[in-house]
Amino acid sequence: MASFSSSNGQEDQVLVEEKSFARTLILNRPEQLNAATDYMISRFLELLLLYEKDSNVKLVIVKGKGRAFSAGGDVTSAVHDINSGKWKSVAIFFRKNYTLHYLIATYSKPQVSIMNGIVMGGGAGCSTHGSFRVATENSVFSMPETALGLFPDVGASYFLSRLPGHFGEYLGLTGARLDGAEMLACGLATHFVPSAKLPSLEAALHTVDSSDQAVISAIIGEYSELPMLKEQSAYHRLDVINRCFSRRTVEDILSALEREATNKVDGWILASIQSLKKASPTSLKISLRSIREGRLQGVGQCLVREYRMVCHVIRGEVSKDFVEVLQLIRRLLYSLI
Amino acid sequence: MDRAFWRARVIKNHLTQDPCTQTRSLSGAPCLEYSPPELAEPAAAFDVAAMRALLDGHNVAERDWLFGLMTQSKLFNPRRVGGRVFVAPDYNQSMEQQREMTMRRIEFLLERGVFEGWLTAGTAEGELRKLALQEVANMYDHSLAIKFGVHFFLWGGAIQFFGTERHHVKWLRDTENYVVKGCFAMTELGHGSNVRGIETVTTYDPRAREFIINTPCESAQKYWIGGAANHATHTVAFSQLNINGINQGVHAFIVQIRDADGNICPNIRIADCGHKIGLNGVDNGRIWFDNVRIPRENLLNSVADISPDGEYLSAIKDPDQRFAAFLAPLTAGRVILAASAIYSAKIGLAIAIRYALSRRAFSIAPNQPEVLLLDYPSHQQRLLPLLAKTYAMSFSANHLKMIYVKRTPELNKTIHILSSAFKASFTWHNMRTLQECREACGGQGLKTENRIGHLKGEKDVQSTFEGDNNVLMQQISKTLFAEYLVARKRNKPFKGLGLEHMNGPCPVLPQQLPSTVLRSDQFQVDAFHVRERDLLNRFAEEILQRQAQGERKEHALLSSYQLAEDLGRAFSERCVLQNFVEVEENSPAGSLKDMLALLRSMYALTCMEEDASFLRYGYLSTENAAAVRKEVAKLCSELRPHALALVNSFGIPDAYLSPIAFNWVEANSWSSVQH
Repeated sequence: MASFSSSNGQEDQVLVEEKSFARTLILNRPEQLNAATDYMISRFLELLLLYEKDSNVKLVIVKGKGRAFSAGGDVTSAVHDINSGKWKSVAIFFRKNYTLHYLIATYSKPQVSIMNGIVMGGGAGCSTHGSFRVATENSVFSMPETALGLFPDVGASYFLSRLPGHFGEYLGLTGARLDGAEMLACGLATHFVPSAKLPSLEAALHTVDSSDQAVISAIIGEYSELPMLKEQSAYHRLDVINRCFSRRTVEDILSALEREATNKVDGWILASIQSLKKASPTSLKISLRSIREGRLQGVGQCLVREYRMVCHVIRGEVSKDFVEVLQLIRRLLYSLI
Repeated sequence: MDRAFWRARVIKNHLTQDPCTQTRSLSGAPCLEYSPPELAEPAAAFDVAAMRALLDGHNVAERDWLFGLMTQSKLFNPRRVGGRVFVAPDYNQSMEQQREMTMRRIEFLLERGVFEGWLTAGTAEGELRKLALQEVANMYDHSLAIKFGVHFFLWGGAIQFFGTERHHVKWLRDTENYVVKGCFAMTELGHGSNVRGIETVTTYDPRAREFIINTPCESAQKYWIGGAANHATHTVAFSQLNINGINQGVHAFIVQIRDADGNICPNIRIADCGHKIGLNGVDNGRIWFDNVRIPRENLLNSVADISPDGEYLSAIKDPDQRFAAFLAPLTAGRVILAASAIYSAKIGLAIAIRYALSRRAFSIAPNQPEVLLLDYPSHQQRLLPLLAKTYAMSFSANHLKMIYVKRTPELNKTIHILSSAFKASFTWHNMRTLQECREACGGQGLKTENRIGHLKGEKDVQSTFEGDNNVLMQQISKTLFAEYLVARKRNKPFKGLGLEHMNGPCPVLPQQLPSTVLRSDQFQVDAFHVRERDLLNRFAEEILQRQAQGERKEHALLSSYQLAEDLGRAFSERCVLQNFVEVEENSPAGSLKDMLALLRSMYALTCMEEDASFLRYGYLSTENAAAVRKEVAKLCSELRPHALALVNSFGIPDAYLSPIAFNWVEANSWSSVQH
């Protein structure tokens, strides 16, 4: 589990398939759940920039190898750097990451992300900003940063804040997990395709010869389904979520949830309260404010602001929570060698 | 990038054309493309967030919270246009539908806790928060703000300030929670500005211990009562009070007009005021009282009372003073209006200036791209002075709010005159700004979706409700005349209302007015002092002269209306300049302070350019006046590069502007029609 990725074999971390006018980028670090290394981000960025200018490329497809799309950024090297006082190289990594997300958000050609598995943190950044997001029955989405003393970044203050009602605050503060059906329902995914049909979908996408969004949407639509939300889904209770997570402060949100819990004991309410109580309090407040400000800003402004915020966090200026968590992870990793 | 590409193509077309052939093949010119202002304009030269904090003055986080609440709810009609989301009511709905939607939006805001503590908090911070949230709601929809404004500030305010403990206990919490829906029945068909002349009559029945309120004739019907036509359950009814054959003047009474099921109560008749040129989300009604009986306790008795057996009691013996004390609480409305008028002007300017930074018309040299609207000096002069005035008035509105929330009885006169002056000036400024912005957007200004034109109809009422602007401005000269009499006749120095400058020697304005002098705050303040001083002296002398010739004071005041008008404006503008100078002085040295200085000069010199008084009474020579006008043109070109940052500083989220402030080509594309 420890990542001692050597420099040779790095190229394999991102595989590329060229089929007619489509280019498929495959995140290939399945043992590490496709956690993105500095190399992967750079390569992804490089390829996207190349494809934008290449008139032979009409469509970009992104997917992950194994049971994850991507579980986020690879924190292990970050751990080492922060502990040895080299926060700046970590900042550079974040900056590159956010630049990639901005490029995806403003890309002039359609991007189809096939999220057939875990999509967390940075993995959301590489997919959610794109034009088409395909979820499957294997998808698991989460922005778990508040439990780590960080805050939902990668432009999450932009895309979470634009989810219906205050569902974005709910996801960002509690780190709640969504399945594929829920991702479609709230708009994080644009389509839901059963994993068995993915090979046919990809084959159909390979025949595309234009960048017309309507054409691509129609193709994906042919393989799409409208899955039922599971009965206990929190998304059924958007009214309660909106009532609680629209409150002004984290304290008010927590007390609103506790009040709801006395009326009716839904599992997700108790889980939410637990998550909020376990998370870093500073993280929660920063995250709430970030999402609220992001609601009124463009994606570029959000990423610029998040970058500034993350620099403060990794320097330990805000609180020691994130640094402590990283140290914990480091000790854990070393204990597994 | 787009512009360079376009130009290269144009040049290439010329180079590859055969100059000898007569026939010119028609080749399609490259299509006009939208380029966002952010690409071409320089980065902000000052801290935009800091400027916003200065402009908003207070509760920035709460404002953004409410903006966010409204964008996230379907009730507020979010619409996707040209890839962006805008929130605005659907003004194409019928009057009845708009009224229902307004009420439902209020219920939503209530449920989200927006109104928490509005009547029960009782602190200055709570007051400011309330004002901030009202301002934001007003930016979404004027009807929304008026409808809950009537309930909280007029009905609720009447309970708070005209009522006593027993009224507070009985009504405030229920008002805050909308258990009752209140309205405010003061205006009548025959009497608006002249409240003391209203014709509704109330008598007292000592045996039943009830008041009887009656509408004796058609001109006495209550008119324009917001909330009354459809929803309100209770009202504060203003009426003459006749006790034992003596008219004790205007008093306020709580009257229930509907039951909890929405049925109109007996002996009350209600009719609709009908469709209006704007504000159709507010159900204005007309009310007739047919000898309606109400309990004695329903008299709002902070100033006067009735004993159970019908004896009139009041600590204030003089009926004029009693009336003044009674109405002092109504200044809240004027304070609120002054501030919200400025926010409306900000919306108009943000949209028009952003549009002018992306819309082009005419090339002025061959083979050049068309020129951006805001690059035309004349277009700059249409919008940038209004922008500077809006900044200036914004600071004054904040100053007024601060005085108001910390008010003491000694400050009543100051608040009264400032709120009168600012309400009148700022609402007129808003209407003028909206008109100019509408024209500056051409045909696009006529689309309801683009907001500016529609705001004209919505905001027009501001100049005549809560005090007719002309009447309010007359109050200023009357008050200043009274101050003059105290100072000159009793040989005391002027004190208060910023009139202290009258005590010193009259400032001497320099003969020559180079740029440096024109832009100095000393010169600008001196010029405004000279104008105010001279006009007050002339006005007072004219009144006194007429009185000496046998005219009654009231008649003399009416006859001298021209000087009164000039004086009112002079006072108002001087106060605004003073507030601006203070804000500028309190700013630390740096780019923000420099920006404020530029705007302050634009404000002062624009006032001088526009007010004929300066030339008419000789404060400026004709050469001076020409120099002022030239300086304004210079200031326009200096403000031009900052225009985008200056409107970004308003902090109005994109969703509350309109499509022409962004990619108006995309917003009107065929694919937009199909979705």
